[in-house]
Amino acid sequence: MRKKCLIFLSIALTICFSIATLSSSSFAKEVAYLSLADYTGPIAGLNVPADMGLEDYIKEINAKGGVDGIKIKFIGIDTRYDVARAVSAYKRYRRTKRLLMVNSISTGIGKAVARLIERDKRAQLVPGDGEFQAHLGRNFIWGPAYQDAFAASLDWIMADWKAKGKSGAPVVGFVNWDSSYGREHLRGGKEYAEKLGIKLLPPEFFPPGTLKHDVYLTRLAKAGAHYIHAGGVDPTPTNVIRDAYALGLTKKLQMTCGYWGPTALGIGVHAKALEGSVITSFYERGTDAIKNKIPTDLWKKYRDCSLEKYNEVYAMGMSWGLTYVAGLKDALKAVGYEKLKADDMYKAYQRITGLDRLGIQGPCAYSPTSRRGSLEVKTYRVKNGKIIPITGWRKAPDAVSLHKF
Amino acid sequence: MRYFKVIMLFVFIMGLVLGALVCQTSQLSAGPQAKLEVIPAETFLSPALIRKPVTFKGSGFAPKEMISVEMVLPPGLKMKGITEGEDVGIAVGTSDENGNFTAAMQPTATLNWFFQVGWTPLTRPNFKEARPIPPGVYTINATGLDSDRVATSTLKIVPPPKKK
Repeated sequence: MRKKCLIFLSIALTICFSIATLSSSSFAKEVAYLSLADYTGPIAGLNVPADMGLEDYIKEINAKGGVDGIKIKFIGIDTRYDVARAVSAYKRYRRTKRLLMVNSISTGIGKAVARLIERDKRAQLVPGDGEFQAHLGRNFIWGPAYQDAFAASLDWIMADWKAKGKSGAPVVGFVNWDSSYGREHLRGGKEYAEKLGIKLLPPEFFPPGTLKHDVYLTRLAKAGAHYIHAGGVDPTPTNVIRDAYALGLTKKLQMTCGYWGPTALGIGVHAKALEGSVITSFYERGTDAIKNKIPTDLWKKYRDCSLEKYNEVYAMGMSWGLTYVAGLKDALKAVGYEKLKADDMYKAYQRITGLDRLGIQGPCAYSPTSRRGSLEVKTYRVKNGKIIPITGWRKAPDAVSLHKF
Repeated sequence: MRYFKVIMLFVFIMGLVLGALVCQTSQLSAGPQAKLEVIPAETFLSPALIRKPVTFKGSGFAPKEMISVEMVLPPGLKMKGITEGEDVGIAVGTSDENGNFTAAMQPTATLNWFFQVGWTPLTRPNFKEARPIPPGVYTINATGLDSDRVATSTLKIVPPPKKK
């Protein structure tokens, strides 16, 4: 009888422990990545292909057995570019076991979530706000800061001006969204223009969603601009240049853009108007992007056998994945899976300095004193409906340090 | 008698395990009762909500904490970008040193979650694709993201007045 009781008790305990084990969802070793993205909102045109690149890279890693047997769980949330939704989504997922990284696809979302990231001892990726470099914290930007890339555009402008045999310095106009993103370029970019002796005209800001940009462009042209730098996230810069073309300005002055300038998205619609435009980017564009076999093979495997709908930001998304995997490997080496916490990933991201990203963008520049994803930029020109490189990779100037934040 | 003892022991162990699981998922926090007011508590959907948005006032939260205001979606209501069973964040605020907060819905939130507009490639709201949420009484929760305190209220969406 006693024996029967013991057997019964053993079975009961086994059931209890099984329930406890199942409820903790620890079937397999897993780490998570949360993307606070925009899949159906205003910037979905670029965010969708970027997250496709990341998701496909994660699929590929998992299909090969994961990182040291650990699978990566991709959690993609459609915030529709809305801060309240992003904060609520972060609240929902912040207690996910081993949630090691959050990517906030908007400067506004990044700034709102930053407080919670700090409290949770986690790290997040954010677009390009120089403030995150000026005040080092747990926020890592994707590439060089916006002001760094703008300063690199100014370097190109100066070189182009001199190459045309002109003396002195040119007059440059700046037109961008009326938002913290739009103004960020000038927090250090303005100081850099002064340093080069470039006359930067009073900037023109317009609300996102503006249909026509004639009034801003005309004002800059009348003020004597030799170059106009158009901001916004593609297709906005494409549409600004479309309007400049319609006004006949592209024959009289040079249009330039930052790293959200025309991609395959804009070229597909307004190739003629974009002809001659110059883009300075931290990730491969146009013909360079098409030639990079690793991301394009991934695209062909998971999305489409042709490259007709391929957008270069797909590779940029893959680059987020490459960085995450390198960070994970480093963190695992430091503490192992059982002790792995989000804070370990934050520390690991500061140790992966110099990580090669397969030519998609420059080597990783994250370090204890740097939150920049990379330092290099490359300049491209739209020629015969294609985006072709006109410079090699070069280090963007540190414009962040020129501004008092 | 022995069987009875074994069964009682089994029930006791099960109770302990389930108790531990429940504690894992519901982290109730002590502190004053949080309260929430929705202003206005009743409204109809119109573009006027962009200029004069729905606002939330709360009290009883921890000082200087972020507050997430969420709308609970009734079963069957499909919303663009939201997985069924998920609440949608409609405003965000920060409490003052006394634990009080005020937060208004931003235009993007009103457009996305009340009107459910589409977006054009020019980043303009596309009202042709809009699917406004139906009239009804919606539960609104405000959660303190440090204290986990939750306050609840309701927002009644009524049909727009008939044009005369």
